[in-house]
Amino acid sequence: MIQHTAIIPLIASSAISCLMFLFAGWKSFLIIRRWDIRSGSELQLQLERATYLISTIIGFVLFFQIISLFLYIATVDHLHNLLAGAMCAAGSLNANGFGYPVLILKTVTCLFGGVWLVINHVDARGYDYPLIRPKYVLLLALAPLVSAETVLQFLYFSNLDAQVITSCCGSLFNAGTGTLASGLAGLPRVPMEVALTAAIGVICLIGLRFRITVKGGYLFAVASTLAFVVAIASMISFVSLYVYELPTHHCPFCILHKEYSYVGYPLYAALLGGGISGISVGTLMPASNIPSLAKVLPGILHKLTTITILLYLAFGLAVTLLVLHSALKF
Amino acid sequence: MIRLSSVTKTYNSGKPNQFTAVDNISTEIKAKGMTVFKGPSGSGKTTLLSLIGCMIRPSSGRISLHGIPTTFSPGSGTNDAFDVTSLPETFLTEIRRTTFGFIFQQFNLIRGISVLENILLPTYPTGENHASSRKRGVELLEMFDMGRHAASKVDVLSGGEMQRVAITRALINNPLIIVADEPTAHLDSRLSLDFMKIAAELKAAGKTILIASHDPLVYDSEIADTVIEMRDGRIIGSGQGS
Repeated sequence: MIQHTAIIPLIASSAISCLMFLFAGWKSFLIIRRWDIRSGSELQLQLERATYLISTIIGFVLFFQIISLFLYIATVDHLHNLLAGAMCAAGSLNANGFGYPVLILKTVTCLFGGVWLVINHVDARGYDYPLIRPKYVLLLALAPLVSAETVLQFLYFSNLDAQVITSCCGSLFNAGTGTLASGLAGLPRVPMEVALTAAIGVICLIGLRFRITVKGGYLFAVASTLAFVVAIASMISFVSLYVYELPTHHCPFCILHKEYSYVGYPLYAALLGGGISGISVGTLMPASNIPSLAKVLPGILHKLTTITILLYLAFGLAVTLLVLHSALKF
Repeated sequence: MIRLSSVTKTYNSGKPNQFTAVDNISTEIKAKGMTVFKGPSGSGKTTLLSLIGCMIRPSSGRISLHGIPTTFSPGSGTNDAFDVTSLPETFLTEIRRTTFGFIFQQFNLIRGISVLENILLPTYPTGENHASSRKRGVELLEMFDMGRHAASKVDVLSGGEMQRVAITRALINNPLIIVADEPTAHLDSRLSLDFMKIAAELKAAGKTILIASHDPLVYDSEIADTVIEMRDGRIIGSGQGS
């Protein structure tokens, strides 16, 4: 295991998060099974009090999960100096079989953890715990993901071996090697540019329609999810080329380096935020008929829609500026 | 109306020093009247008032308020019944601030600041315009013949004056329900009678008044509409006032 300043806090905080999640998961199980708002039983009143505790704990844990995604990427990026063959986080993650699964799990827990935080925020605005069951069902679904992520992250860091030669990003994200990464790198540039522009345009149109008519919330969430996928693929397919000003370098991680002004962090943060708020709109749509949320939910949905549109527009604008200011011309 | 259904409050539950302060109480308290809870020390009066006033939550049972307007109810109707025991803390805070006015045995005035500043304290969290709350505070002080003391520090007031300040503070947010815990415990007979006169005026103004007291001057008063007798956390008797 490589001793690194950020590894120990990452492992320790993930372990603590996991334990908190397991505790909350057990309480969630009880709440899902035994919750009865009409009952005045001692158990029901205990569960009502427990829900504050769980919401607070999980609020902090999921906030950390979101931060830890970026901390994890920054850490593995920093580790590339110690691993033979690695040029950035791409190589470090490839140093053993656990790196990329952890990254995927962290991204998924970040997305759905963010959605959980939004649901929790909305639930706290209703006087009768209107979203208590869906909130804790989602929490129970997240618990195994967070646990798996904690274990895999430990295995990743504990199995890092500086003697093992890993691949560099140039070979990992090289079109024609038959992997998912190479497949994404091999996506044609112009169609992907059109796809990204169209995806952001569609998000704006559907979002504006939803804001005006309050119709198409689910469509907006689906479009937002698709735009997230298209944007990630675009980062690998063509945005990277313009940033590095190299026609064949597709790495999605080198963009996080100082020489590129860390521009990758705000780009990925905008995508993550847009994805979370967009998915949240669809997730909250079934709550539109709940009386205790009738006053607050429309305002929240409006805000989420605006945030999603603004974040995707910010991403699109940043990409446009990067393309326009790049020395690379096709 | 306030409805209590099988309300129990147990402290240190499951521990050797477990203590049930309120034991399975079910009752209804009429609005716009005065209800006095009488009983010896340790009978559960203060705990019951704290439960009704949303200061603490019961271990089991439900407490519901009827006819209370709120900002969060669907339609904000006054016929809605609210189960305050299950309300999340955010909403409970609103209920506590706007529905209840509390008068404590020890008055709980803050020394070192003026009478008017003490009175205005409950208005700050409501976000109300300071000028209008200040105007109302001065008017209330005048009503209780305390206008000349508005700028005085509470430290220099007599016991009776302190209590009138405490009453004024309880009324500043125009609550529907006044909760008073042993309000005459530190007062002589004359001042206690003064308090009961004020309570009568508040009742006439349409307030619901709940008083916990073991002072005969309070529970034998003809102003009291209902007297509920408590012992060992239970209601052992209930009747009309004198």
